[in-house]
Amino acid sequence: MTEAAAIPVTVLTGYLGAGKTTLLNRILTEQHGKKYAVIVNEFGEIGIDNDLVVDADEEVFEMNNGCICCTVRGDLIRILANLMKRKGRFDAILIETTGLADPSPVAQTFFVDDDVRAKTKLDAIVTVVDAKHIAGSLKDAKEAREQIAFADVILLNKTDLVDGAALAETEAAIRKINPLAEIHRTTKSGVALDAILDVGAFDLDRILEIEPHFLEGSHSHGHHEEDVESISFDTTKPMNGEALTHWLRTTLTTKGQDILRSKGIFDIKGETKRFVFQGVHMLMDGDLTSPWKADEPRRSRMVFIGRNLDRDELKRGFESCIAA
Amino acid sequence: MSQAAPARFLANDAYVTGLAYAPGVAAFALGDGTVKLVADDGGETVAAAHDGAALCLAVYGDGFVSGGDDGRLVRIGRDGSVTELLKLRGKFIEHVAVSPASGALVCAAGRDIFIIAKPGAAPAEPLSHRTSVTGLAFDPKGKRIACAHYNGVSLWWLASETATLLDWKGSHVGVWWHPGGDFVMTAMQENALHGWRLSDKQHMRMAGYPAKTKSMAWFSKGKWLATAGSEAVICWPFDGKGPMGKSAREIGPQGSICTVVAPHPNRDLIASGHADGSVWLTRFEDDKAACVRAPAATPVSALTWRPDGNRLAFGCEDGAAGILNFEGAAG
Repeated sequence: MTEAAAIPVTVLTGYLGAGKTTLLNRILTEQHGKKYAVIVNEFGEIGIDNDLVVDADEEVFEMNNGCICCTVRGDLIRILANLMKRKGRFDAILIETTGLADPSPVAQTFFVDDDVRAKTKLDAIVTVVDAKHIAGSLKDAKEAREQIAFADVILLNKTDLVDGAALAETEAAIRKINPLAEIHRTTKSGVALDAILDVGAFDLDRILEIEPHFLEGSHSHGHHEEDVESISFDTTKPMNGEALTHWLRTTLTTKGQDILRSKGIFDIKGETKRFVFQGVHMLMDGDLTSPWKADEPRRSRMVFIGRNLDRDELKRGFESCIAA
Repeated sequence: MSQAAPARFLANDAYVTGLAYAPGVAAFALGDGTVKLVADDGGETVAAAHDGAALCLAVYGDGFVSGGDDGRLVRIGRDGSVTELLKLRGKFIEHVAVSPASGALVCAAGRDIFIIAKPGAAPAEPLSHRTSVTGLAFDPKGKRIACAHYNGVSLWWLASETATLLDWKGSHVGVWWHPGGDFVMTAMQENALHGWRLSDKQHMRMAGYPAKTKSMAWFSKGKWLATAGSEAVICWPFDGKGPMGKSAREIGPQGSICTVVAPHPNRDLIASGHADGSVWLTRFEDDKAACVRAPAATPVSALTWRPDGNRLAFGCEDGAAGILNFEGAAG
């Protein structure tokens, strides 16, 4: 038997009532011929014969690995290891988190545990939000902001319950926090499966473009401390690879508690391939990936999503990495 | 050095998740939910134990017991018969331990452990922990059970159902109890071992492993502990007051991460399985090592001796398995 390809894992976050279970049931009942394992926290709400549903306990463990904000999901490490032992493995694994869960321990599990890394890969974090209630939640709840900040894909669900103007306003509020995520407007969590599964959001080889969707007014200041916001930088000048990796490492080590997600594509001086990087809090993953095409304009672009971000300091850091 | 003598090979098509050897018959727990029984006279029987994967296995009475991701704990007779002992909905039975001394059985599912005091008894009401149980180990008399979990180990007295806590911050992922009863060791999420000397709860900490330790076992009447998780087999001295302040001995092959260790039951001879699929025998005295199974496609996931030490069974992640016969082999 040759080493099987890593199994993609999709993480579903979102408040209770936003439509996560509806989405899960849609995925499981659609005729796709795929076999999924589903890890849930509320056993009993779903139950489809051909798929395996596992009840998880959301055990968030601190790691003693020198990374001060590093927490992982201990239960996931065990469940995933056991699922990998099953004969006739799965096409994909879906993990549903509780409504108020912080997505970072789930994401960090895929960076930290060697066994998990060897056999599975985090595909994307999908956040389902209730179009009617999200605006209020964003004002009041840190969890709602973090779930949006972490997302690679956002389902702006129950759009039939709000009018067009309110929807545009909500989408702008989401964009202010997360300019990178794909947003799909849905009712009853209705979305094409290829929009949420096998997205490859954490696959460095598949991150070819970073196109932050900044909406008008998104750079307004006067936010209060707990606001999650995003900052992006770009340049057409090539970067110094050594200075850049040093700066990224230092920035994430010192500010990683406040930086939730980061992502970048860089044109490194002297390299024909693009350097792609992405991080979750203090943990990062970066590599030279596909070559720039001959007719493709080379440029470097990156985004930080976090709270208490010092735009000026980050900008100085970014610019100091531009090759002389 | 022993030479690999006539061997028997099995090509299972699912992950070998556990191995146990009762007198006269070896059992292989598999990722397809079956437990394959191979008698010393060559007869093969397949027990349809679980609807999913079999996750853990132990010798139980003159047969075996296995737990699975279908939430079932089943007794498996030498004839392949399957008797359900416990069924839990939506839970994995991940660990099972049996004490040969007392005949007691303990299994773990999530945060709970279930005790079956003696064969034929009904499972007791579960005992709960604050986080999931990640490993089980009996004391030598079979009266206490160690349960590893987040931030430490709970030592339960089976009779009174009371526990004392050995605490150490962090995620413990397996537990082993010294055959003399004096020490309890755990493996940690961070590629390190932790341990306690029970007389005074003195801590010990062994770090520097390149991979997680998933297997360890004492040998030489409890004087040494062989551990997996490094390229070599790392052996810690446990004579006297324990390994504190002493250094480890590295023995065996140096090529590929050791995934499982199995010291010979009577001699200072360590069998080790490795990530490259190879199986080695190393004589502790002079560190002379012999490869008894060549590298293959996937890591060795299970390894155990027949109780008399004349045969060695191994199993791998891709289902490849075998029984090596050392009967009559020179020392």
